[in-house]
Amino acid sequence: MTDVANRAPAQPGPNDPTVFASGFQEVAALPVGDLSPAADRSYSAPRRVLRRPWVVQLIALLILLAVWQYLTVAGDRVPSIENVVSFMWTEITGGSHGGMLLGEFWGALGLSLQRYAIGLAIGIPAGAVLGLLIGASGWVRGLLNDTTLVLLALPAVVWAFLASLWFGLTSTAPIVAVVLTAIPFVAINLSSGVRGIDAALVEMSRSYKVSRRNQIADLLLGGTLPNALTGVRLAFTTGWNSLLIVEWFGATDGVGWRARFWYDALRYEGFVGWVFLFVILITVLDRLVLRRLERRAFQWNQKPTLSFAEDWGM
Amino acid sequence: MATVLIENLTKIYPPTITYPHRVQALGGVNMSVTGNVFVAVLGPSGSGKTTLLNIVAGVETPTSGSVRAVHNGVPAQVGYVFQEPRLLPWRTVLNNMLYVQDRKSDRSRREAEFYLTMVGLNEVAHLYPSQLSAGMQQRVGIARAFLVNPDLLLMDEPFSHMDALTGRSLREYLQRVWLHTRKTALFVTHDVSEAVELADRILMLRPGGVVFDDIPIDLPRPRNPDDPAVRSVERDVLRRFDSMEAAVRFGAHAQ
Repeated sequence: MTDVANRAPAQPGPNDPTVFASGFQEVAALPVGDLSPAADRSYSAPRRVLRRPWVVQLIALLILLAVWQYLTVAGDRVPSIENVVSFMWTEITGGSHGGMLLGEFWGALGLSLQRYAIGLAIGIPAGAVLGLLIGASGWVRGLLNDTTLVLLALPAVVWAFLASLWFGLTSTAPIVAVVLTAIPFVAINLSSGVRGIDAALVEMSRSYKVSRRNQIADLLLGGTLPNALTGVRLAFTTGWNSLLIVEWFGATDGVGWRARFWYDALRYEGFVGWVFLFVILITVLDRLVLRRLERRAFQWNQKPTLSFAEDWGM
Repeated sequence: MATVLIENLTKIYPPTITYPHRVQALGGVNMSVTGNVFVAVLGPSGSGKTTLLNIVAGVETPTSGSVRAVHNGVPAQVGYVFQEPRLLPWRTVLNNMLYVQDRKSDRSRREAEFYLTMVGLNEVAHLYPSQLSAGMQQRVGIARAFLVNPDLLLMDEPFSHMDALTGRSLREYLQRVWLHTRKTALFVTHDVSEAVELADRILMLRPGGVVFDDIPIDLPRPRNPDDPAVRSVERDVLRRFDSMEAAVRFGAHAQ
């Protein structure tokens, strides 16, 4: 008896959001369940653990380290993990690499991050303004869309070399390279977002005579946010590449220059260590900032969906 | 209370890539609506009903003729319920309501909550449209139209995408809110029973966009579609609708 009572479905109460004055219970408002593979009870316990995102990422890292270790043992062209870690520890703590050479981690990193931040702070808003203009105005689109597409197609290395040629061995060159790399990515994505705003919503806004302020804040910014975030993510990653290339070829400080310095000194453990640092930095930035922003921006679109891979148990 | 005066209104769509012929949606419509009345514009598909509403709402421009929708000598504030809800998917139900308000003040928030309560949705004001059923989304669309305190309410087959039970429930909600506000309403439909249940007057539009008939509906409110008196009027309107279709030799028939 008790068992049956326990298994009976809960009756909706007066404050239950799924019950309305009409007496209709509309199931669409029920809380969305977790359909992720990790939560799927049809998987066995070990498979559920193996499918957790952090476990998968840990496995990927272990495979990478194993391949690295194998390459170290198999030949003498790849520095060992131990040597790289030890070298980078000396860099970070400012210890001695032998002779007069001391670790310069924080100074180089701080300088590069400063250039990167200034470049993005200029490039992203400039790209956003350009993208909004191209998206909203047919005249501006005719004038600038193709040019912006061409700029988008140019690899980051071209911007890096051009900035170095124009500004020489100064801090301006890497900043300009980041700006020029970021602008077309943000502009093209945002302009396609503006053009992709549902015409039905525009008609609705016109019929209700919605104020310009509300249209900009809710329709334009809300509707283009997914594209804007895609553009910003691309600007972050390609801007970082561009910065490193300029610093590698045309700077006397910064992380790109530091990697080149150890490369030229034939200290491959230093070169590999700095390259890993580039990757770790951009990955951490993407995971901790950009993806979180994206998840927050897309919370309105989190529906229970079943992907092909999940359906096939992969 | 608004006055809508439509004189010799025509709308011709130019040829397009997919359909290289001109299309006459409206062919000289003349009508006037005034007072706290609920007018249904009844017509088969292709009779220009949606075009008529879009022109009244200012969404489309006419080819010729004139449309005046005024309230106390100034352009009437319009509340438009579309066939599909047309909600901003990235805004909550409450923020969709506030979107059509000039100021997002506490007062407009309370008004939005009042109309959401009228349609039984106050408890889901914080949810996003994708978390609601189609019927609930359309109820938000109805509440939004009333929120702007419209002088003129335009509704374009708002229940045509709903199943019969949901459509019936939504008509009950609409009657309840309309009886509370008694706004001048133009309701487009191809469903005779819907028109009889809701309207004080039915304007029949035939294909090509010409008013064929003007039928007053003198029944007490609120109306129940199962009431014999309502059914009797419905049969009469259906006969006249059939005779219009026979007259224009149009194959389609109403539901």
